Formats: sequence, structure tokens, C-alpha cells
Amino acid sequence: MAAVIFWVMAVVAVLGGIGVVASRQPIRSVLSLVVVMLALAVEFLILSAQFLFAVQIIVYAGAVMVLFLFVVALLGPMKERRQLRFQWGLALLVALVFGGFLYSMLGSVPFRAPQRTALSVFGTVQDIAYGLFTKYLYPFELTSVLLLVAAIGAIYLSRGGHGIQARREEDDRRA
Amino acid sequence: MNHLYLSYPNPGGIFSNPVGYWVIVALAIVFTLFVLLTATAYTVWYERVLLGRFQRRPGPNRVGPLGLLQLAADGIKLATKESFAPAGVDPILYLVGPAVMVAAAFLAWAVIPVGIWWGFSYWISNINVGILFVFAVSSMNAYAILLGGWSSNNKYSLLGGMRAAAQLISYEVALGLSLVPIFIITGSLRLQDIANFSVHWGPYHGPIPLVIVAPLSFVIYMVAATAETNRTPFDLPEAEQELIGGYHTEYSGLKFTLYYLGEYLNMVTVSTLATLIFFAGWHPNAPWFPAFIPFVAKIVGFLFLYIWLRNTLPRLRYDMLMRLGWKVLLPLGMANVVVTAAVVVALTG
Repeated sequence: MAAVIFWVMAVVAVLGGIGVVASRQPIRSVLSLVVVMLALAVEFLILSAQFLFAVQIIVYAGAVMVLFLFVVALLGPMKERRQLRFQWGLALLVALVFGGFLYSMLGSVPFRAPQRTALSVFGTVQDIAYGLFTKYLYPFELTSVLLLVAAIGAIYLSRGGHGIQARREEDDRRA
Repeated sequence: MNHLYLSYPNPGGIFSNPVGYWVIVALAIVFTLFVLLTATAYTVWYERVLLGRFQRRPGPNRVGPLGLLQLAADGIKLATKESFAPAGVDPILYLVGPAVMVAAAFLAWAVIPVGIWWGFSYWISNINVGILFVFAVSSMNAYAILLGGWSSNNKYSLLGGMRAAAQLISYEVALGLSLVPIFIITGSLRLQDIANFSVHWGPYHGPIPLVIVAPLSFVIYMVAATAETNRTPFDLPEAEQELIGGYHTEYSGLKFTLYYLGEYLNMVTVSTLATLIFFAGWHPNAPWFPAFIPFVAKIVGFLFLYIWLRNTLPRLRYDMLMRLGWKVLLPLGMANVVVTAAVVVALTG
């Protein structure tokens, strides 16, 4: 049962990934990415990581992708028609390079079966909270500081800080 | 993970048989769908009757006794209407919108427990992250509304969809934060555990309505849940005076019915969640006092509250809506979390 669901969702996720890059309409690309996120969430659930499943949907599919969709819908339903001159050749080259990297690196990754004894506590809210607030407390807090810095930066740029405001006024005067 | 858990009598017999187990699960799902559809239809009837009473007119009273069959008549009318799609719509996304809406609304009920009899409650799935699952599927509503608004090829629809997406994202944060104190107090995200949360206060041993210990959570939850379900005074996405109908302006027939159904089902869902989380769900009950009576009575009470709000409050302006969400509810919710955590640590050590 779990294997069947895994393969179905794996195919769905890969098809969604293809949809992201192959769609001509930006809105279709965004929705394909939502499909990828949802398929990955189901994969988490098969690994009995229930909390990750819920958070993956709430944060990525429910909030981040809605903002993407919001921006795309605001910018208008433009179809992407432009193509670079050597786009196909370039794309193929990049894909081959990354495929080579993946192939050479995957060989050295050790794959283990999940430890079955711990499955009743693994992935529960309590388990993840325990990990986050004991063993991984400092990395966790550092990541949140990083996010805070990004948020402050975004506010500074959009509000127009001291230097930015002066430069904008200068631009206006020139125009 | 426990599917279809029947507390007492002890599950055994047909449940230990794998085929019988899935038969029971399928029957449970069909039963839940039937009850929910009926409940949703009568929520619409209840709202229309109350709207009438609040405005000193009779409300629906022609079809059937007390107008009880009005919704059946409306359903037949909507189902047999010509399904019309305007020119220039996005053919796939135009259909995906209402489908996502109704699917998300029903999926939430996979983890919501229902009290039926004394010591006997019923749910389809009892997962560790119960309430987060409800939030996860209800966050899909934003797609339903945004896609419906975008794909309709109508600027009013698009404006409605945009407003809805911004509103849903803003109030989802406050909604989630309002429940964190509940998780701190009960130590669980399972709706069953939250509804059954019991205390030993002097001579009293037993379940309590959590609204007593977390009143601010309740207030924030009610405001945010009203915004999440697009009910007045937060119904800017479908403000009929300025946007005709908002995101569902271009929908008719069955597709419109799906949006409508999803909206009212979400209203029932948030009322049920409020009952389970803040008002002890199916308690009090006894062998001679079936659990579904307090359970349903509380849900109907919350529905009444929502309809009452709709009749009383005028719609907010857009900047007021955003200010309330980000500058009032969010800081209040955070302070609530910190204070509750401090009190719980001080009391339990």
C-alpha cells in the first residue's frame, strides 16, 4: 500500500515539476508547483512524519504559494512568448551538468531503512518540538534570525530608507 | 494512527477483519457526507429564517412546513439551471476553483470528532496533528477563491479573489496563534484530547470548557474564524454593492452551488471547532443525556452567533480589516501565547 502511494505521488511530483518549467502561462507554473508541494506532503505522511505533512501544506502550499499566485494574478494573465536564441541548447547543457552532479553524488549517499521501533513517536509534534528546543535549538534560532534580517531588509527597501529615499528623489529630479 | 475509533464498546469483531474495517470506514465516510450535506442545507435555511426575524419579516415559509423544504426546492432549481460560462474564461481553472472549495471543506471533517452517545464518539481518522490538518486543508480555500476570481475573466471577480487571498492569509496567522495557548494547556493537538481535557479543581474532577482558562484565545479565534469564512463584517471579497458577487460573480448553476456549499460548510466547521476547543464538545453528558444534544446545541448556538453578527455589524473598510488583522489580533495573539506559557510554567513547574 505505502509503496503504491509512494510511486503514484513520486510520479505526480515529477509531472508537477515538469509542469512548472514547461507551462507557458505563469499561473499554470505556480499551480504545478502547488501540486509538487502537495505530493511531497503526502510522501512525508507515508514516512509517518505527520507534523511535517501538515506544516508542508500550511506553510508552503497554503501561504507561500498563495503569495506567488497573488503576485502572478496581479501582474495579469500574460503568456510567456519570448525565447532566448539558444534556450534549448543551454537548457540541455545545464540539465546534463546537474544530472552528472546528482549521479556522482547519489552514489555516495548511504540509504537506510527507517528504524521501525521508533515509528510510534517519530514525526509526532512532541518529538519534533523536543528536537527543535534541545538538540537543534541554536541552529533553529539562527535560522529565525536570518529570516528576521530578510524581513527587516524587505521593509527597509520597500519603505525607502534614508539613502534610498535620497536616491529616489535624485532620480525623480533627473526625470 | 487510529481510523474510525469507537471508544466504548471496545473495537473488535468486524474491526479486526481488514475487509470489514474498510467497509466500516467507507460507510462512515458516506454517513458523514450525508449528515454534513443535510446540516449545511439547514444552516442556509436557519440563516434565512433568522435574517427574516431580525428584519421583522417572516422569512422562507412557503415550501413545506415552516419552509423546511425551501432548500430542496433551491437545490433542484440550481441543479437544473443552464450551466453558463462566459467567454474568455480559463476552461480548466474555472472548474478547478469550485471543486477545490468543496473538497477542502469536506476534507476537514476527516479528523473532526463527533459526540453521539454517552462515552461514545465517532471520527474517521484520529491523527496526531488533528487540528493542524484542519488548518492545512482549509488553507486550500485561498486557491479556490483566487482561482475562481482569476479564471472568470472579469475584473470584479479578480478584485474579489485578490481581497479574499490577502484576507485569508492575514487572518490565518491570528487564527493559528489564538490556538497555541490551547495546545500549551492541553498538551495535545488531537481534537479528542482537547474536547476531553479534564481538571482536578478542589472537589470538581472532570472536563471544563477551555474558554474559562483561555478567554482571549476564544475572542481572537471567533474574529479570525469569521474573517476566514468571509462572513459579514469581513465579507469584502464578495461585497455585493461594489463587486457584484466577488469571485463567484461569473458562476452559475451547480458550480455556484459548490462555492455556496463550501462557504456554509466552512461556517459549520468553524462552529464545530469552536465547540470542541473552547466549549468542551460533547460534555456534559450522562447515560440518560446523549452526548449529541449538548454537542449540536453548542454548534447551533455558534451558528446563531454568526448570523447575529451578520445582521448587526456593517462591513469593514479594507484598510480597517488589514489593521485589525496585523496590528491588533496578531500582537494580542502573541502576548496571549507568552502570558499563557508563563502562567502554565509557573503553575506546573
